Amino acid sequence: MFKNISRYWWCQIIGWSINIAISIFFVSTFGKTGKLYFTSLFITCIAGLLITHIMRLNIHYLKILDKPIKKQIASFIIITIIFSVLFGFIAESVDHLIKYNPERLQKFSRSERLFLSSFNAMWLILFWNMIYYIYHYVERNRRQQLDTLRLEAMVKSLELQTIKSHINPHFIFNALNSIRALVDENPERARTAITELSNILRSSMQAEKMETVPLQQELDIVKDYLALEHMRFEERLQIEMDIDEDTLNQPIPPMMLQTLVENAIKHGISKRINGGLIRIISDFKDNHHELVVQNSGKLNGYASLNEDGFGIKSTQDRLNLLYQGKAYFQIHEIEGGMVESKIIMPVANLLSIVKK
Amino acid sequence: MHKALIIDDERLARNELKKLLQDFPEVEVIGEAANANEGIEKIENLSPDLIFLDIQMPGKTGFDMLLELERAPHVIFTTAYDEFALKAFEVNALDYLMKPVEPKRLADALHKLQQAEEKELAATLAGVNRGMLSENDQVFVKDGERCWFVKLSDVRLFESVGNYAKVFFAGNKPLILKSLNALEDRLDEKVFFRANRKHIVNLRMIDKVEPYFNGGLLLDLKGGEKIEVSRRLAVKFKEMMSL
Repeated sequence: MFKNISRYWWCQIIGWSINIAISIFFVSTFGKTGKLYFTSLFITCIAGLLITHIMRLNIHYLKILDKPIKKQIASFIIITIIFSVLFGFIAESVDHLIKYNPERLQKFSRSERLFLSSFNAMWLILFWNMIYYIYHYVERNRRQQLDTLRLEAMVKSLELQTIKSHINPHFIFNALNSIRALVDENPERARTAITELSNILRSSMQAEKMETVPLQQELDIVKDYLALEHMRFEERLQIEMDIDEDTLNQPIPPMMLQTLVENAIKHGISKRINGGLIRIISDFKDNHHELVVQNSGKLNGYASLNEDGFGIKSTQDRLNLLYQGKAYFQIHEIEGGMVESKIIMPVANLLSIVKK
Repeated sequence: MHKALIIDDERLARNELKKLLQDFPEVEVIGEAANANEGIEKIENLSPDLIFLDIQMPGKTGFDMLLELERAPHVIFTTAYDEFALKAFEVNALDYLMKPVEPKRLADALHKLQQAEEKELAATLAGVNRGMLSENDQVFVKDGERCWFVKLSDVRLFESVGNYAKVFFAGNKPLILKSLNALEDRLDEKVFFRANRKHIVNLRMIDKVEPYFNGGLLLDLKGGEKIEVSRRLAVKFKEMMSL
């Protein structure tokens, strides 16, 4: 049952209990107590608990804790004064109602009494508020620190993932092996193959430094990559491109299309004895830029993608980081025994988000 | 002279290897295959004594192909960088070449093969019955990420587990997809003895023989396994051992 009581209520109950205990201690040491004193003290404390709770609701409602520090201090003072007067008024009314301390009633006028009890109440309210604000200030700082740490860790792992998924070593060594075979068979092709491979290696090294590159640039790399894979797979790999020329200047995250094409080969074409087709489409659709990679094959071959660290998750993470949730990544099977992976991004000239 | 078969899905990779092998007159390339199924077919038809095998191929991997073979020829794996395969090799030191292949490494691998074959030749001077698996034949077994070529002479025991058989050798007991009856037909009965419904034991791996209930026997194997022999088969066992 106690587990359902929040930390806030525990503090309230314990705090006011301590207040009662201290009051009793001082009054019984230095003055005289009586049944009326206890009644007054008890009712006043219950009222205090309710008033401070209303005060907390107010702080929440006005979102004071989210405001800049100067405004926080100003609201803190105003709220303290208002609620002290309110508390003082109630405490005074309670004493009046139960006719506690009649001497005081005679000695001071009503407004004087009100001022005195408000002044007394102010210490309590001030103390309460101090604890409340300090607690939240410390808690907020701690949470911020944790968030920063977590964010840093995430960025690190994302960087690693993207670097890792840039170029697959299996591909590099296979390409080198093919080139060596070509040196005798077709020296001219071997020379261009070396150029293609160096283009890919160079751009994968530069990719970490840039947030986005124009589609044209990425497409050049992908074409080099596909040319090398075609050299390996020969007639088993067919390539189709359907690129809207207006999209060529659109900025895209570097090596992202490349990763998708690499996966399409790895999980699609290379698994099929007779190979298949890779189709790349870039187009504007519904005010978005759509980048699509289709390949022959089935999606179940991709099942292990998430664990691979390649592909799906890192692609979505990169998009989230770069476009703050305004870009999407999907992968699904489509008609004709093909798998389609699609990136949907905002069109760049409508959003200034990309250049930072 | 080795009759070699090259299995790799890339034409250029096969050409490159053929070219490298031209410098080794002791190796004759008798065929090529572009995937695992073609590989199995060519192995059965051409019976090469050495295969160069790529691991990552469409349809079935090189490992999958070996698991389907009854008797694995000598195998030299060829692979580009491949973390998974490298791990399998590290565990068991199977011979492998990294593409692009360094000629020196190829020479080493062939030299190692030569030595292994000479040893075998000395051991099986009478390896006549080709249909039977002799002690020196090796089978390829795989258990999760680990794989081995196991000489039949190193196997202590086959245990039936449904359609599979558990192979006991050294400290390992991986499963192979073969029934105990099929194994019994192919194994040399001078060495491998069907002790009961569930077990085939290697006679050379028996440490001790004890009498058991009902005129049966209990065989203590070198690995600590204890195998029962029924009374009917115990008679046969005694006959064989008394020779």
